[in-house]
Amino acid sequence: MGSRIFSVFGRKIADTSKCFRQSRKFCTSNATSDICDVSLSTPPPGFPTPAYAMSSKQRHETKVTTLPNGLRVASENTFGQFSTVGVVIDSGSRYEVNYPSGVSHFIEKLAFGATSNYESRDVILQELEKHGGICDCQGSKDTLIYAISAETAGLSKVLDVLSDVVLRPKISQEEIEESQRAIYFEHESLELMPNQDQLLFELSHAAAYRDNTLGLPKLTPLDKISQIDRGNLLTFMHNYHSPERMVLAGVGMEHDVLVEMAKEYFEQKTPTWTSEQNIINPNQGIDTTYAQYTGGLVKVSKDLSNVSPGPNPMPELAHAVIGLESCSHKDPDFVAFCVLNMLMGGGGSFSAGGPGKGMYTRLYLNVLNRYHWMYSAVAMNHAYNDSGVFTIQASAHPNQLKELIEVIVIELAHTKGHVAQSELGRAKKQLQSMLLMNLESRPVVFEDIGRQVLSQGKRENAEHYLDEIGKISEHDIQRVAERMLNSKPAIAAVGDLTNMPSYEDIEVGLASDNGKMPNKFFLFR
Amino acid sequence: MAAKIWRIAPTLTKTFSVSQRAPAATVSLNRWRSTQAATFEQTLLNVPETKTSKLENGVRIASEDSGIPTATVGVWIDTGSRYENAQNNGVAHFLEHMAFKGTSKRSQTDLELEVENMGAHLNAYTSREQTVYYAKCLSQDLPKAMDILADILQNSTLREQEIERERGVILREMQEVETNLQEVVFDHLHATAFQGTSLGRTILGPTENIQSISRTDLQEYIQNHYKGPRTVLAAAGGVDHAELSNLAQKYFGNLSATYENEIPTMQPCRFTGSEIRVRDDSMPLAHVAIAVEGAGWANPDNIALMVANTLIGSWDRSHGGGPNLASRLAANCAEQNLAVSFQSFNTCYKDTGLWGMYFVSEGSTIEDMMFNVQGEWMRLCSNITEFEVQRAKNLLKTNMLLQLDGSTPICEDIGRQMLCYGRRIPLPELEARIEAVNAKVIREVCSKYIYDHCPAVAAVGPLEQLPDYNRIRGAMYWLRT
Repeated sequence: MGSRIFSVFGRKIADTSKCFRQSRKFCTSNATSDICDVSLSTPPPGFPTPAYAMSSKQRHETKVTTLPNGLRVASENTFGQFSTVGVVIDSGSRYEVNYPSGVSHFIEKLAFGATSNYESRDVILQELEKHGGICDCQGSKDTLIYAISAETAGLSKVLDVLSDVVLRPKISQEEIEESQRAIYFEHESLELMPNQDQLLFELSHAAAYRDNTLGLPKLTPLDKISQIDRGNLLTFMHNYHSPERMVLAGVGMEHDVLVEMAKEYFEQKTPTWTSEQNIINPNQGIDTTYAQYTGGLVKVSKDLSNVSPGPNPMPELAHAVIGLESCSHKDPDFVAFCVLNMLMGGGGSFSAGGPGKGMYTRLYLNVLNRYHWMYSAVAMNHAYNDSGVFTIQASAHPNQLKELIEVIVIELAHTKGHVAQSELGRAKKQLQSMLLMNLESRPVVFEDIGRQVLSQGKRENAEHYLDEIGKISEHDIQRVAERMLNSKPAIAAVGDLTNMPSYEDIEVGLASDNGKMPNKFFLFR
Repeated sequence: MAAKIWRIAPTLTKTFSVSQRAPAATVSLNRWRSTQAATFEQTLLNVPETKTSKLENGVRIASEDSGIPTATVGVWIDTGSRYENAQNNGVAHFLEHMAFKGTSKRSQTDLELEVENMGAHLNAYTSREQTVYYAKCLSQDLPKAMDILADILQNSTLREQEIERERGVILREMQEVETNLQEVVFDHLHATAFQGTSLGRTILGPTENIQSISRTDLQEYIQNHYKGPRTVLAAAGGVDHAELSNLAQKYFGNLSATYENEIPTMQPCRFTGSEIRVRDDSMPLAHVAIAVEGAGWANPDNIALMVANTLIGSWDRSHGGGPNLASRLAANCAEQNLAVSFQSFNTCYKDTGLWGMYFVSEGSTIEDMMFNVQGEWMRLCSNITEFEVQRAKNLLKTNMLLQLDGSTPICEDIGRQMLCYGRRIPLPELEARIEAVNAKVIREVCSKYIYDHCPAVAAVGPLEQLPDYNRIRGAMYWLRT
């Protein structure tokens, strides 16, 4: 379908664009009263029926082209008026070992700021608004993503903006100070937020990868906020934002068109860090080390008794995460870990959503439905390029913290035991449908293309993963469970931790067959 | 159970971002002629058509086929807490809870397992004017999903013991809702703005009603409101309209179209400028909402109000300079640290609406913030510039179009529009309507709805600085310009 409609469409835009000024002129005349007075329930008189397109069942494949400078261009055409295009970079907080922690957080905040061709963020936004565009930059531990969604007709302008934002940022002192303020406020709002998920994510990674790569914090630590300067930022970008560490990914356009535009905009422009060599610090190089899973314990004792003051405050909670080493997303066991994650499932004891949210997963059946004091329990699998961590995160009143840990340890230890066919079938089916449902969204497809091409040079389509999921057996689940239980646990806890069991006890529990932690009696405690 | 998140959806999102919910997608601009003999150019869209049809009992069917392997299908019913009275307030929401508790054909466990084993999702929400049940599934499972939706809608057993158990769940949900101050403030805002009418009541209902609603109340409510002509079956994703119509006939063909009892009529809801303030100095932040009476869904003025709403925009302190500095208010907030966050909203109902502002700030900046908000409102009525309006129009179109991503948002858009407008507004038409708005239209419409009108105010927190109502009212006009 795409190509024909697209080209017709393209021409259409060109010859109607002239009418734009005209149409505005008419608006100011009293003629506007026509359309401005017609009820929204009735079509304005004389308004023609638009000619719609028909969908086609044909799925498009992802095409990848590598430019001479090493930049990979990957795209998939789709149905729709809009396209999403962006740059996915192998960058992020995991590479900050030689830099003040938070450099990539600053880069994320500074994104879509002034560049050499666009004097301010506002100018960029105005430029994009003309094409119905919005932009966003998101950083994670191991990737930085700049993305723009806009009308396909404005693609050329969008790429001009995108390339300028990625390669030619100005990073003025004023903008750095603005980012400092924004980061202070981010700390402040995190502090005020009753939800501790983000903190727990950071802490569980700090425990799993102690002082290296994935364990480094994503959020700039408070004492580092004032240390980051233009030199650090440009040196970091000089080292990590090189074309061979980038993928230009797009959804909703012809591949050849995107490749041509990539040549025009991404090959010609000289990055800021190349034209300002004198500011680059040659002593700060590239970190090429693998993520070292260490395991360990990170505790943050904190008073959470009054997190949401108001007429009806939230109950006081203690939160704990127990993680074990899983695998990278390139590992053959990756899909089996994802199925295990679905099998464990979980959520809040009081969560929105009807049937379909995983009500028959193990953490619901064995934990949330059985222990009324459990506030939430949820399984997660975080996979990265060279490692991964499988976690169960749970919260309950601080008085129940010991029991909470006991229950979670038993559930983890039991993963290597019997798996019923019915629960395995359900988990596989849910994973398959989740995959397809996520791919409904264009930005998700964009991110998937970018990440896959960045890490493995090509994109496996959905069918590939559906097949892989279909093949997983009870034996596979037990094998990966055994594998993760052989690693040292990574434990993080936040709240009033008076009743927190010791790390050693948890380790013993996880190593046993039934998950029972050593029973210690203290008469006087 | 579904209600926690979803209850906000219809009240707040539909409106904080009418922009986001409303439809549209076209790129070409239409050629508008001022003469009577208007000629409009046909636009070519790279989106599928919304097809509609109707069953004999009045059930309307609307769908859009994008050919993907997943789909969303749902039932939108023209009923909600607005149709309740003081005695049965809460029954619509109670019924939503009972929907997943088993039918004459399926026990609760059968129902849950059937949905979970399909990898599907079943959900429901109740708002003041709409009740929605929908399923998201693989396209191939569409018949099964329709079977389940029809079953829970028409054959729920409503057993006494489940009703008893659900009372506790709903009371617990009420506690959860009350931890969310934004929801608390909006419930207060409705309570004061629509005092003495059914829109002023909450969706969950008061505790005594939750404790007393009986099986008969629930059955009566179904009998009076779940009627063919008030029902829309909407679907999006990989759905074939002909197949959908056949399934609709099979599963919803028996929905009654006639009333055994008195036909319920919709009472108009009167807006009253007034205020509720809940002062609590121990809270760190103040949550304040101020609104004037807006327009009903189908009112053409709504387009201008949405543009005005987008122009004021929304902002959060951690955005820094933020993605929305197009808004002067956001720029002032960022510069002078006036608030933690703010959101302009436009909530619509059938014949009325609330257009206003919700902000969270420290106690010591409330007054400055109010001054700025009301100053911006006055500017909308008097000297807003063409440039700002053009930006807001672009932004509104963008938000609306980008919102329609994935089968569920599209299905929601279809269902909501079918109920609100009796049709789905074609994207080029909507775009043309937005394009027709200019600074003059904004000034006229805003003067009509905002200038010198009595606002409704609701606030919770350290409110010492919140100006007295008469001063707030006094800032709704200017003795100059």
